[in-house]
Amino acid sequence: MIVKTLLAAICAGLIAGSFMTAAQELRVVPLILEAETYETAPLPGAPEAEGYPAAHEHSSRAGGSLFPSLASALQLVTPAYAHESAGQEAGHADGGIMFGLSRFSGTLIANLVTGAGFGLLLAGLGLVTSTPPTMRNGLVWGALGWLSVHMLPALGLPPELPGFPAGDLGDRQIWWLMATVLSALGLGLIALRKEIWAKAAGLGLLALPHLYGAPQPGDLASPVPAVLGAEFAVAALATTLAFWLVLGAVSGAINDRFLNTA
Amino acid sequence: MSHAAITEVVMAVTNASGVSLSLNDRMIAGFLSLFIGAFLVFGAGLANSSVLHDTAHDVRHSFGFPCH
Repeated sequence: MIVKTLLAAICAGLIAGSFMTAAQELRVVPLILEAETYETAPLPGAPEAEGYPAAHEHSSRAGGSLFPSLASALQLVTPAYAHESAGQEAGHADGGIMFGLSRFSGTLIANLVTGAGFGLLLAGLGLVTSTPPTMRNGLVWGALGWLSVHMLPALGLPPELPGFPAGDLGDRQIWWLMATVLSALGLGLIALRKEIWAKAAGLGLLALPHLYGAPQPGDLASPVPAVLGAEFAVAALATTLAFWLVLGAVSGAINDRFLNTA
Repeated sequence: MSHAAITEVVMAVTNASGVSLSLNDRMIAGFLSLFIGAFLVFGAGLANSSVLHDTAHDVRHSFGFPCH
């Protein structure tokens, strides 16, 4: 029974991931490819064209840790790995798409994995809160997922194109994770609890990461045209909204269809 | 809380969902699901591996995962 529940979630995620791949290829990937043509071009008048810091000091996470090996294993992305695709085109041997797949296949696989992952997270939250996605509330689940994973974190860290200026990668990933988890908790409190204190606490949790502030780049100069960035931010948020609505609706439909009678 | 009240809560929770899992099974399935889901999203979106990064590059950007 547990396995069946998980399989239902994975199935919904795979469907949403396939859908997302089509949406991405139509709206998002062309903008990424276009931005990459600017990314490798030097910024006029600046010796260091790339917006990300060329070298950065290790943050406090790395130094003075009680478990250095554990810390390094759990570290998100090191600066050396950052920006691999540009390096790859410039002839770095490191990295590369796994199993020598094409770029599209890599994107498809990553979408399927991400879709299954978000599908499982959605199902898990539904089980733990005793409010699993159904046909009736599936779209609401999807919308809340989109808000907490995409829209609310994007207020601090908008979806960015390759070549955009950005703060330290590790700091941004930590902030993004915190913003996502706190937003999900806050929305959960607002949506699932009737008490006024819970709704107030939920709003507080939503605001917390933004009061703290997302890591911002020191220098805003970018070789990528701003119009591309604006189009990309809208396209990324629109496609992810569609992804979450599909995920929520399909999860609900599968739950209603197959798990009720089991 | 009396035993009867606990039974009532468990039944209410089970009925509310429409899924015929016991509360205990539901929690196991829920946390297992959350754990595997977080692992998959972490691997595709955030993990420290250049191969994973390159494979998922366009996905990381379009999902708005912090990248680069």
